[in-house]
Amino acid sequence: MIDIRLIEECRSGNFNNFRRLVELTSPFAYSVAFRMLGDEDQAKDIVQETMVTIWQKLKKIKTAEVYKTWIYRIVVNKCYDEMRKKKRNPEFVTDDHSWELISNKISEGPSATLENTETSKIIRILTEKLSTKQKAVFVLSDLEGMSNDEVSEITGISKSAVKANLYHARKSISEKVEKYL
Amino acid sequence: MEPHNEKYKKVLNLLRNSKPVLDSTEDIEIEVIKRIKENDRPGFNLLNAIDFLFGWVYIGWVRRTLITASIALVLVFVFQQGVILKRIEILSKQTIVPVMENVTTPTAEIEKLLVTYKNSGRRFPSKTITISEREMKELLESVKELQLKYKDLEDIIEGDPDIKRLIEKKLNENNHAKINL
Repeated sequence: MIDIRLIEECRSGNFNNFRRLVELTSPFAYSVAFRMLGDEDQAKDIVQETMVTIWQKLKKIKTAEVYKTWIYRIVVNKCYDEMRKKKRNPEFVTDDHSWELISNKISEGPSATLENTETSKIIRILTEKLSTKQKAVFVLSDLEGMSNDEVSEITGISKSAVKANLYHARKSISEKVEKYL
Repeated sequence: MEPHNEKYKKVLNLLRNSKPVLDSTEDIEIEVIKRIKENDRPGFNLLNAIDFLFGWVYIGWVRRTLITASIALVLVFVFQQGVILKRIEILSKQTIVPVMENVTTPTAEIEKLLVTYKNSGRRFPSKTITISEREMKELLESVKELQLKYKDLEDIIEGDPDIKRLIEKKLNENNHAKINL
């Protein structure tokens, strides 16, 4: 949890404190960006842009709880923009090796983990058919473990829309998994 | 809906366990501080200016409205062109008949014909004179008019035996003169 005092000190323009804030904030911002975009470099760019935005608008923050939701919202919005750009120039996703990789990892047992590059490939093939909203809701809800209320607040869509998007995202991924695994 | 797909749950578990790892927050910190300092530097930033002026085109609903408006304008233009072409086609099918004023005076024409006929010594065969129906009507009308005028004269001559005698005498003299010629 980020201390409200740290945020207040950052408001005074202290770069050392802001460095600490970046250190604390970057990992979870990166996690969401990476899972939504499936690309390490783009996720890092999003984190950088998010931190610059935070610096510029930090005075609006009053509580540490609001801060976390606010960060997620900035990250998700920046990811939306990035995904819209990607939609105009879609990349070719190779999936033969990725499905083999998932199959091997699953057979290793429940404690199996993936490296960033592997996670990136798997997320891409699983979510390539999802809309930007479905992708955001799936990442925040199923991968980041947030409640529907939190997802609704971050994405700015109603709770019922969150549920509907999550249903379609799960259905799409589930069908894919059933088909290829 | 909770998908009861076992494979889906395993894939989801694999992705949850594989939290994206950010190598080092230091690079991000340095880059963020650098960008913040660049932004704080006073001076004219062309990119910011362009973004301020034209950034609104990236707003979804504005973009959609502009696309709709442009499509509507193109449709109106095409419709107008169609209407104009149709009107031109209708006009091009209509024949234009120049109305010429008939400047010939029928009476003068008839007189001319009669003079020619008289001067020719009545030697023209009748077939050579062609008179239109309209000219014939005018000729008959003028003959009728002449008959009316001379009817009054005949009445006067018939009513006065002296004048009648004098005229008969003159006519006889004229007939003699013609025979002598």
